[in-house]
Amino acid sequence: MKFMEDTKINFMKFKSFGFGLSSVLAFGSIIILLMGVNLGIDFKGGTAIGVSFSEDVSIQEVRSSLKSVSLNDNLVDLSGEEIKYFGSQNDVMIKIKSLDNEPENFGQIVINHLYDSMSSKAPENKNDFILSLGSVSPKVGSELSGKAFWSVVSALVLILFYISVRFEFRFALGAILALVHDVIITLGIFSLTGFEITLSTVAAFLTIVGYSLNDTIVILDRIRENMKSSGTVMFESTINKSINQSLSRTLITSLTTLFVIVVLLVYGGEVIRPFSFTMLVGVIVGTYSSIYIASALLATIYQSSNK
Amino acid sequence: MNSAIRNRLLTILFVFGLGIYALLPSLRYGLMDENKKSNLSDEQVDYFESRSIKQGLDLKGGIYIVLEVDLPQLIDNLAKNKDNNFNQFLSELKGEYNTSSSDFFTVFESLADENELKLPRYFINYGKTKEQIITQLSLQSEDSIKRVIEIIQNRVDQFGVAEPTIQKQGNNRVIVELAGIEDPERARDLLQSTALLELMIVKNVESTNTIIRQIDSIMAASNANDNTQSDEINELFDSGSSSELGFSSLLISVGGNLAISSKDLSIFKDILSKDDVKQILEATNSTILTSDSSIKLVNEIGEEEEFYTLFHLFNNAELTGGVIEDAQMRLSQAGVTAGQAVVEVEMNSEGSREWARITGANINNRIAIVLDKKVHMAPVIRSQIFGGGTVIEGLDSIEEAEDIAIVLRAGALPVPVTIAEERTVGASLGADSISKGTLSMAIGLFLVVCFIVFFYKMSGLIASFSVMWTLILLLGVLALLEATLTLPGIAGLILTVGMSVDANVIIFERIKEELRNGKSVRSAIDSGYERAIRTIVDANLTTGIAAAVLYQYGSGPIKGFATVLFWGIIVSMFTAIIVTRFVFDFVTSSKNIEKLSI
Repeated sequence: MKFMEDTKINFMKFKSFGFGLSSVLAFGSIIILLMGVNLGIDFKGGTAIGVSFSEDVSIQEVRSSLKSVSLNDNLVDLSGEEIKYFGSQNDVMIKIKSLDNEPENFGQIVINHLYDSMSSKAPENKNDFILSLGSVSPKVGSELSGKAFWSVVSALVLILFYISVRFEFRFALGAILALVHDVIITLGIFSLTGFEITLSTVAAFLTIVGYSLNDTIVILDRIRENMKSSGTVMFESTINKSINQSLSRTLITSLTTLFVIVVLLVYGGEVIRPFSFTMLVGVIVGTYSSIYIASALLATIYQSSNK
Repeated sequence: MNSAIRNRLLTILFVFGLGIYALLPSLRYGLMDENKKSNLSDEQVDYFESRSIKQGLDLKGGIYIVLEVDLPQLIDNLAKNKDNNFNQFLSELKGEYNTSSSDFFTVFESLADENELKLPRYFINYGKTKEQIITQLSLQSEDSIKRVIEIIQNRVDQFGVAEPTIQKQGNNRVIVELAGIEDPERARDLLQSTALLELMIVKNVESTNTIIRQIDSIMAASNANDNTQSDEINELFDSGSSSELGFSSLLISVGGNLAISSKDLSIFKDILSKDDVKQILEATNSTILTSDSSIKLVNEIGEEEEFYTLFHLFNNAELTGGVIEDAQMRLSQAGVTAGQAVVEVEMNSEGSREWARITGANINNRIAIVLDKKVHMAPVIRSQIFGGGTVIEGLDSIEEAEDIAIVLRAGALPVPVTIAEERTVGASLGADSISKGTLSMAIGLFLVVCFIVFFYKMSGLIASFSVMWTLILLLGVLALLEATLTLPGIAGLILTVGMSVDANVIIFERIKEELRNGKSVRSAIDSGYERAIRTIVDANLTTGIAAAVLYQYGSGPIKGFATVLFWGIIVSMFTAIIVTRFVFDFVTSSKNIEKLSI
């Protein structure tokens, strides 16, 4: 099957357009991120409760039942916390910020309260009622945030180092900028859709870092190979030629990866959804950035250093 | 077939064989029906369990708990001559430590410096200088975490959970993972209860009444102070909040005991935490505790209310749980408690002697059996008891009695523990995740195979063959490594299916290019592979770096994902570079092919 063979698209002609689009997207993402990221309990501390009713319930119903929960003989109003469906309309996920003086077994107390106050819609066996219970103390939350931050930073530094050794520093610079671009834009779109950032989304982000780089390196590799014959003269046309040569590979691989990610998004279930969504956005942004950020930046860097 | 090709074939067959061999136990165990499973001997179960791919708690259901030793409490327990300065320091320490991510003793030291706290004054038994004291205290905390781990191990063993894992994390945490737990609430209580058993003498009625009168007068005095400005309002409304009326107004008499309504418990706690009240109790060497179970009474307006009994006790425990040799759940045979679950406690010889002395000296007094500062019962001692036995009554259920017996046998925790992190996954959610993950994998694999065959024809079939083997070998590696498969791990498997095609695609595109440049099939394959390998290695190594970082950083589920990602890369490079290459070489070596279906 002939697919994208021998294409001669002048990618670099649209270089400024690509830079413009990326700048707008990245700028917009940064503004969204500054407005506030929806951090999950993993990083903020708090309690997340998933319960399964035996029939459909309305969020309003759950909310009003949480109006007064007895904690250590004090009545607390939890109706303002985040409550949403989890997959179907009989499963509900409740996220509660960590409270001062939170009693031990706080999550269990809330589960028991819901079970008792909505007993007509709850399953007979209480153990079938509990889907999941997660609680993270603010201390552990701040530790996990620190670890997540440093893991992303150290991955970037290690990769920068690796590419500098294998290629040269100018290549590495373009690749890393492309990566940062991918992570920021994916994070922005991710926040815009209201998903929350959890440990597994951090895992997805690190995978995107790896994946997007994979793509970038295949193109950079071609550029390096073609540079041996053409040198740094006519650098833009060398880059164009390299992108065109690897275009079918870039598209086919991105498509197969996208297939499985879409399948995961549709059939993989609620727990893994934020992960799948991050990957989906990341792969699209990553494919685009290999062409328009990594390679185009390289062209710009070479042009300015050759002057 | 020449010998070079034969050797390569043998190597590949060997690897394939190894992969299938590694997977075999998982397959056999997974496909076995429940009936057959229950007939297996213990050794067989052990064999299958250890050789099969393990499922993480997020798939199997279960509870993952990180317990943290309450270090501020430990410091409080170890300190002597505590004064207001110290108490203030301690509450600051608690607040600071719980929100910072630094080490406990770093916070301790900097706060002590800041408050100019003279540590030797409180910790003279642990050294004369600040450095000595901090070293000694951190040794104490290490020692207590060691004991906490031992005791929790004991409790979990006796509770009977398959394959529990208990491991230390950092300086003051224990990670406990219990798979397949049906009742997380019960498991959590079992792990967390301090299980401090104390036998304490109940004070006589006169001294109790005196104490209550004294507390009343303290409160009257403090209310008078508080209310000087709001006198007018009080006169206007003639309001009387319960605290204003004094402590005694909260109490009612039930069967010769004092009791307090459950809705007044928080006021009661506030009263007991007042400094003046603390001082009086300390001066009389006594303490006030509530009963563990409540009684339901109908109040004057016809509503049912819950009441807890109050006990005024000598503060020094006559005996503690340390003397316990055995504790067993029994169903009571006689008396008013017949049929109820009780815990029979047996003491060691030293405990028995003490017990005989105490009961002998306190005939006609009441003795309270107190577990974790809650009074379970307070019977009157009728005669001296020899032989060191006692019974704990007043338990709600057989399960509670069983659990108390377990924690008493396993011993008390030296210091309380708090839950720093918990992740419980219900069995139904886990099963749901497995079925959805498997379905996604099947659909994903199908789509990828179709797509690749559509693009690359026969060569696409070869690539699909290699993707299939990537999956089998990857699962084999997981079984060999005894790695745990988690939900993100399943996502990693699916991702590997999508991404492992990549190496094949890079190779095929190169071969096509070489063919376009007019090379023969044979030399196109050779040079295509040669040029592609470098790119493949470079591209995959970076994903490998990300996976390795993830492995370092993550816990549980994330580690599972990192493992799959990392080995997925290695296995897919093997199948793409070695296996498909072999197939190509084998096909083209036998006859002179002029056109490649690619």
